[in-house]
Amino acid sequence: MNNEDGRDEDLPPGESARWLAEVAHLVDDLDPVPPGLVELCQFAIDIEGLDDEVEFEALRLADGAQLAGVRGDSPGAITFYVGDLTVMVNITRTGEHQRIDGWLVPAGEHGVEVRVVDHDTANTTADEGGRFVLTEVPRGTTQIRVNLAGGRPRTVVTPAIVF
Amino acid sequence: MISVVGTDPPWNGLRGAERHAACLLAAREGDRTALGVIVAELSPLVWHIARGVGLDRAAAEDVTQQVWLSLLRNLHSLTEPRALVGWLGITAKREAVRTHKRTVAQVELTPEAADQVVSSEPMPETELLRGERDRKLWKAFHALSQRCQELLRLTVLDGRAEYTGVAEAMKMPRGSIGPTRGRCLKNLRDRYEDGDGGT
Repeated sequence: MNNEDGRDEDLPPGESARWLAEVAHLVDDLDPVPPGLVELCQFAIDIEGLDDEVEFEALRLADGAQLAGVRGDSPGAITFYVGDLTVMVNITRTGEHQRIDGWLVPAGEHGVEVRVVDHDTANTTADEGGRFVLTEVPRGTTQIRVNLAGGRPRTVVTPAIVF
Repeated sequence: MISVVGTDPPWNGLRGAERHAACLLAAREGDRTALGVIVAELSPLVWHIARGVGLDRAAAEDVTQQVWLSLLRNLHSLTEPRALVGWLGITAKREAVRTHKRTVAQVELTPEAADQVVSSEPMPETELLRGERDRKLWKAFHALSQRCQELLRLTVLDGRAEYTGVAEAMKMPRGSIGPTRGRCLKNLRDRYEDGDGGT
């Protein structure tokens, strides 16, 4: 019955169109873009002050990790990287807020911004060991941005994550 | 750049590649609304390409966001704004394959195991599969080879005016996919009809 290589007979044109319409139904109705994903992506790339003078890069999760695994009630430690730069953060829930302990490698007095949807951006500067702490950060869809110190302007961001 | 109050955005009234190009050029000038329009209108393309590679929904969400961050990184270096959908298709495929390799790498895949990976595709939210017909269709589709699944999804997308050119950019020109596509559709029908036995 199943002939995966079946070269013997093609579907008549009418039937091809019918089954292509079934695929379209599957694509559009059974497997739609998840609710909220467009808004999440719009937030993630709505970043101030970028122009062609600023080198911009996106951080990735360390290999094998998924954002789904770091969402939710106890996000814990998360490592991001891009090129030679590593950003480690530890997220702790404190009531309605979150506390973010971070460590940037290579170390330096880099600027750190934490963006949370519908809230003011929290700012701090890492110490010369690359460490930073932000307390009382509102919970919600969060993105961390690092503006690297020294040299030409370079900014990196994490993906937006729902905490 | 500060837009003049009361002026329609430059992409107003445009469609397809012209519209995306106008948005992209405005975004380069610092218009962040324009980027939002691109994300809203082209996220389905990125999503379905990621899903077509075989990623589960959570991984496809991550890839979709990564692709948009890549666009931001490359905003000023894209040489042909009218070819945005092609660039997105290629980038989405590359990101999705990279993620897929990472997730599958742990499992030593025999052909039998590969079949199981395909058939273990988690169902979408159950409320979306309203009837027996949809469940059969879902099952039949995910029993197809990965290549067929990808090709058929891409055929549907490429047939839409706003995504025209994506298949060609991804090295799937219409002429050469014809016969393969026909076989994939036939396999889909056969598997759907065989699905009555509950296999």
